Amino acid sequence: MPKPCAKILDAVYEVNLLDLVDSELEKLSAEKSLGLSLGEMRKIQNYFIEEGRNPSDVELEALAQSWSEHCCYKSSRPILKKTVFNISAPQNICVISEDAGLVDFNSEYAYVVALESHNHPSALDPYGGAATGIGGVLRDVVCMGAKPIALIDPLFFGPLNYPEKKLSKGVKHPRYLFKGVVSGIADYGNRVGVPTVAGMVEFDESYVSNCLVNVGCVGIVKKKEIIHSRAGNVGDIYVLAGGKTGRDGIHGVTFASAELDAESEEKDIPAVQLGYAIMKEPLMHACLEANRKGLLTGMKDFGGGGLSCVSSEMAYAGGKGAVVDLDKIPLKQEGMFPWEIWVSESQERMLLSVRPVDIEKVREIFDFWDVPATIIGEVNDTKRITATYKGKIVLDMDLGFLLGGVVYERPYKLIPRNTSEPQYSIPDLSEMIHALLNSPRIGSREGIIRGYDFEVGGYTILKPMQGLVNSQTHGDAAVLKPLKESFQGLAVTADVNPLLCKHDPYWGAASAVDEVVRNLVAVNSVPHSMADCLNFGNPEKEGCLGDFVDCCEGLHFAASAYCMSFVSGNVSFYNEGAYGAIAPTPALIGIGIMPDVRNSISSDLKKEDNLLYLVGDSKHELGGSEYYRLLGLEGGRVPRTYPRETLKGMNSLLNVMDKKLVRSCHDISTGGLIVSALEMAFGGNLGLDLDLGVIPNLRTDIKLFSESNGRWLVEVGEDDAEEFESTTSAIKIGNTRKEKSLRIKDNGTDFTLPLNKLRESWDTALEME
Amino acid sequence: MKMTEACILYMEGTNCEEETKQAFEEVGVSAELVHLKQLTGDVSKNLERNLFDYRILMIPGGWSAGDYVRAGSIFAARIKSKILKEIKEFIGNGYLVGGICTGFQVLTELGLLPGFDGAYGVPQAALTTNLNSAFQCRPVYLKHNRKCAFTQKIGVGRILQVPVAHAEGRFIFGENNQMYLEKLLDNDQVVFRYCFPSGEFAGGKFPENPNGSLFDIAGICNLEGNVLGMMPHPERVMDSIQHADWTRTQHDTGDGRIFFESIAEHLKKI
Repeated sequence: MPKPCAKILDAVYEVNLLDLVDSELEKLSAEKSLGLSLGEMRKIQNYFIEEGRNPSDVELEALAQSWSEHCCYKSSRPILKKTVFNISAPQNICVISEDAGLVDFNSEYAYVVALESHNHPSALDPYGGAATGIGGVLRDVVCMGAKPIALIDPLFFGPLNYPEKKLSKGVKHPRYLFKGVVSGIADYGNRVGVPTVAGMVEFDESYVSNCLVNVGCVGIVKKKEIIHSRAGNVGDIYVLAGGKTGRDGIHGVTFASAELDAESEEKDIPAVQLGYAIMKEPLMHACLEANRKGLLTGMKDFGGGGLSCVSSEMAYAGGKGAVVDLDKIPLKQEGMFPWEIWVSESQERMLLSVRPVDIEKVREIFDFWDVPATIIGEVNDTKRITATYKGKIVLDMDLGFLLGGVVYERPYKLIPRNTSEPQYSIPDLSEMIHALLNSPRIGSREGIIRGYDFEVGGYTILKPMQGLVNSQTHGDAAVLKPLKESFQGLAVTADVNPLLCKHDPYWGAASAVDEVVRNLVAVNSVPHSMADCLNFGNPEKEGCLGDFVDCCEGLHFAASAYCMSFVSGNVSFYNEGAYGAIAPTPALIGIGIMPDVRNSISSDLKKEDNLLYLVGDSKHELGGSEYYRLLGLEGGRVPRTYPRETLKGMNSLLNVMDKKLVRSCHDISTGGLIVSALEMAFGGNLGLDLDLGVIPNLRTDIKLFSESNGRWLVEVGEDDAEEFESTTSAIKIGNTRKEKSLRIKDNGTDFTLPLNKLRESWDTALEME
Repeated sequence: MKMTEACILYMEGTNCEEETKQAFEEVGVSAELVHLKQLTGDVSKNLERNLFDYRILMIPGGWSAGDYVRAGSIFAARIKSKILKEIKEFIGNGYLVGGICTGFQVLTELGLLPGFDGAYGVPQAALTTNLNSAFQCRPVYLKHNRKCAFTQKIGVGRILQVPVAHAEGRFIFGENNQMYLEKLLDNDQVVFRYCFPSGEFAGGKFPENPNGSLFDIAGICNLEGNVLGMMPHPERVMDSIQHADWTRTQHDTGDGRIFFESIAEHLKKI
């Protein structure tokens, strides 16, 4: 039997590690919820054998944070290096290495992109989890010195009508999670005054036991004001700015790095942090003001792993060491253990590195904003991180050991999918069109979108809902005008189709990139950069890791072809529960550059008697389609990505948009051509007359519902038709009309559906109450 | 030295102060962001500001300290405890006090609107939870009902497209709705009403009336016409490309601009 822990101080214990045998090491990791494997425990043991002493509980906790999958990417890093990190693009200033990626905007400004997951906290506390997810990603952007200008939220839930009695213990109903997450985002996002301009909501049974909440943020910064997440100089002071430290968010990262189970509700609830938007807002103002005045030498937000990670990582990134005094940390409650103070993930905190001469000035700024700012430590040249408590050293470790972390080349296996074409009889097409519009995966998101303030600040030029007032439709991307003095803009979109990824991780991931490109082009922006949030199951399972590898390769293939790199990203593993792993979900946000926002194109049809064109080839690609899902069919070929074709379409579209020949444009994705055409019709409250006979060699249902990549629908005025046709290879598939109905003709098929009934199906797909 | 004309008052949670300041500046009115602490003297001497150095006090949109209680109530409580008398005097001197969104909620909470019988300090009306109990971010149409110090340049009957973004914007008087509404109408205090694009009043119909407001009320003024509160955000539509439908409908400029131009014009006269 190992000896019990010895007391170093009140509330600090020496953990007897040196004498333990393997089974005891494993037991220790489990008992203290460290989430460390036997191999990792042995590595730690060896380190302390060399140091000639046992670790304190504070040190062991620090290692558990820094070595968690969430913090050090130990399973994903080797794969990412070969794939998503391995794309070069000239527009990037600083990517991947920090909390957010920096990309060139113009000669004076850069834009910043960050995308994070907040999945496990949201599965337990949807309202609070989603809110603190936003808080975290805002800080990621602020700590680069950038002003946050847009929030983006890709969300994934189980079906809202999932039968209550099929839920296993500890799993919350998708409807509860959905409502909680959406109101958490709205309440927090709306309060901090950053518009929520884009996002997506997907539904699939695989998310029942593990919903996904990804949160993205875009910011803008003057290049000369860019600040990095590292300690500046030896002798600089560590200042903790913002909220107090409490017992909320203890073990957040180790919790994020394990599967959820029936007991998660009970045992993991302390891991969920509590957000406070009204501390965040002045905290952001104060940090940005201090940075603008040149008073900071480094800034980093408190994220996963709390003070432990932020103080160590800043020192390590600056090639320095640091000492932190735990007695100085303002606490929410009495009696917190030093190890709890060290790893708490309480929200709304930032760590600043400040030259001693500037301390007073920094303090004045934070005083004005009523935000506490406390001196908690100092930067030194030891290359070690040291923490003291009641005058005694309770943690003292080599930063290279703590943060060098561990890396695994885990085994993986590619699981073959069923790709054979299913046999089926063609359903009634009118009914199918209504069924698609009424699918929660496709129907109107207006009820969600209008709960978000998408135009606070007044610079959201193309809004998420577009078209005739009170008859608006989904846009492809939002367009922002970040600078008062310039018409240059940024287009923002979020995309992934998890059903495609489930059926074929490689082509599903490539399709996500293709969709980003299509959405950005549809509003007349040039695709510029992406951020990825890779959500997968347990990487220790070979099949799951195989899906991850396959997706990463698909992303690499498509992104390289489009010269769009991933400037920021996040990997979230262990997304599984009672029903197994989630569908592979590489959620992407895409950013496009727009030379002049006044040339934005929206998705709503503009006028009757205009012509409708199809850009790109329709193929027999129904694997993973919503059509097959509604018919209950498995198998089929998942849409391929043909970057050369898509690029050709993109260049010709951007060209005719510049010539002002395009009245509206919409990409074709989930539900196929007909859903896209109808969304355009809804936004303009205009009818459509489609003649699909011109699309070669496909059955009518395939023409209507195939989800082939590389396609757009484009509305062109009759007077511009000749010029449009001579500069693109688009084919004319119909015209807009005043009569408010949809008519479809194709080799013998000819039917007409009233627009108001179609709109009703689309409007009622996602009942919010 | 020329005096700064507009005091844009903010506190923690206010989040429309930048664009409101910009809106004033675009129509040639100098504006300064002033934290409530700077008016109440809770800052160092060099940061203190005097309300009487300005000619318009504008309370912009946002969330006063999060509005976890009732929209605008915390902001109003802080004003009330320190500078309400000053504000009342400011108004009495004929200077302007405006409130947009949360600002309207604050002015109502302070009793400055509708301000019946010169009373203040106690609310006479409320801006309560939207009838569909959801936050609404959407464009609405407003019909201009009467001219006041803030709307001199806007023709009576003119229709403006201006966005709203709030969860608590339903103007009510509570139990005595009808009686007080008649008083409000007798006093001619209704400035903006929600309507259809055609100009027909919304008649309580959603989404034209986005919150279920009594009598489609979107904005009101005091008896003298120098205090105005409105739920919609004119500062968000200063330019044509800020409108929700600009890619299809011609707007020569933003519909909110004329509101700020009216203020600018009025300030020249006082």
